[in-house]
Amino acid sequence: MSGHCDGGLRSNIEPNCLEKREIMKKTLNKMAILLLLGGVVFTAQATTPEEDRAAFVKHYKFRFPDVPMEEYPNGAYAIDKIGRENWEAIEEFPPYEPFIDEGQEMWDTSFANGKTYKDCFSDGPGVASQYPRWDKKQGMVITMALAINQCREANGEKALKYKKGPIVPLLAYMAFESRGQVTNVVIPEDDPRAMEAYEKGKKFYFTRRGQLNFSCATCHVQNTGLKVRTEVLSPSLGHTTHWPVYRSKWGTAGTLHRRFTGCNRNIRAKPMKAQGEQYRNLEYFLTYLSNGLELNGPGARK
Amino acid sequence: MNMRRLPSVILLAVIMAVVAAPTVAADAAMDPKAAEVMKQIDAAEAARKKAASVESEWTTTGKLIKKARAAESKGDYDKALGLAKEARLQGEIAYQQGASQSELRIPAYLKY
Repeated sequence: MSGHCDGGLRSNIEPNCLEKREIMKKTLNKMAILLLLGGVVFTAQATTPEEDRAAFVKHYKFRFPDVPMEEYPNGAYAIDKIGRENWEAIEEFPPYEPFIDEGQEMWDTSFANGKTYKDCFSDGPGVASQYPRWDKKQGMVITMALAINQCREANGEKALKYKKGPIVPLLAYMAFESRGQVTNVVIPEDDPRAMEAYEKGKKFYFTRRGQLNFSCATCHVQNTGLKVRTEVLSPSLGHTTHWPVYRSKWGTAGTLHRRFTGCNRNIRAKPMKAQGEQYRNLEYFLTYLSNGLELNGPGARK
Repeated sequence: MNMRRLPSVILLAVIMAVVAAPTVAADAAMDPKAAEVMKQIDAAEAARKKAASVESEWTTTGKLIKKARAAESKGDYDKALGLAKEARLQGEIAYQQGASQSELRIPAYLKY
């Protein structure tokens, strides 16, 4: 009977063969759906950090073919000619310089117990390229700001606030001493929690939130180079290289997490806690994207 | 008026006032609009918290609830009701937004 199931007009085929064909058709349909779903899942979840970074590089190279990669640490000024002229004029007398001096003084001043920051950061102040990093022992992403406060608390000092204030000069000095180093975020393979933190940061980046229903990617991937009021939207490559930043809008210098907070508020989403898990993971993901780009902090922005 | 009766009249007036006061307060508490406002404010607060539970709260919702409470305390129930209803709606939409974003979705404009 099975010999009659391989062709011919539908009317000439035996009923059993029709059943078999129906079963085969259903099976193929199911396989197609599974393959399709598999493809979506692969696109959405199974990309490696290096594939993510390559996709961002490809995207910006396509959008801004004349902008060399080494320009991206300059943020929007890599793609905004008029803004760049103003920025270069500001950089002649950098508004962040007093913060660097103040930070150096803080670095050199002993804690009440006689120890200094040098006792925590044995490689000296120029260590920005070592952050953010995965700390296996603590099971979390450690940023430079968090490391500063962990150092202070270990030496009996009060933790500093994370968005503005005294932590900024210290970060500015450490960033200045790190200039010329290259972003080099490592996601260790021996601890799956590190990849989980990276993925959480990525998820945060692509999640739409707030009354405006924007994700980070809406502004900094989809609409990079376009304007929101008078501001040119910057690319995400290079977003993390130049912190802390003296922002004319703030009238002072502030931290990356202060900027995260501002971004979230702009889209009318309630911000997360500065140096909380969500923003640290976001920093981990975002900084990984800038791997290979030079550190040029502290910076000045509008 | 007979002056002898004056203390009795005053006493009666005081008794009536004491008896009537809770009744007046109860009437205010029973004001159906005020009760509706409080119900809506509570519902808005619950919706805001639900949105926050999926990290999707909007900055505007809490402000609306605060304004609704202020309007309610001034007795402007219509305004309070409108603000509370808007806040509740915002909280509900924000929760739906957060729930809809539970999975990572990389947009098509980013080509791998």
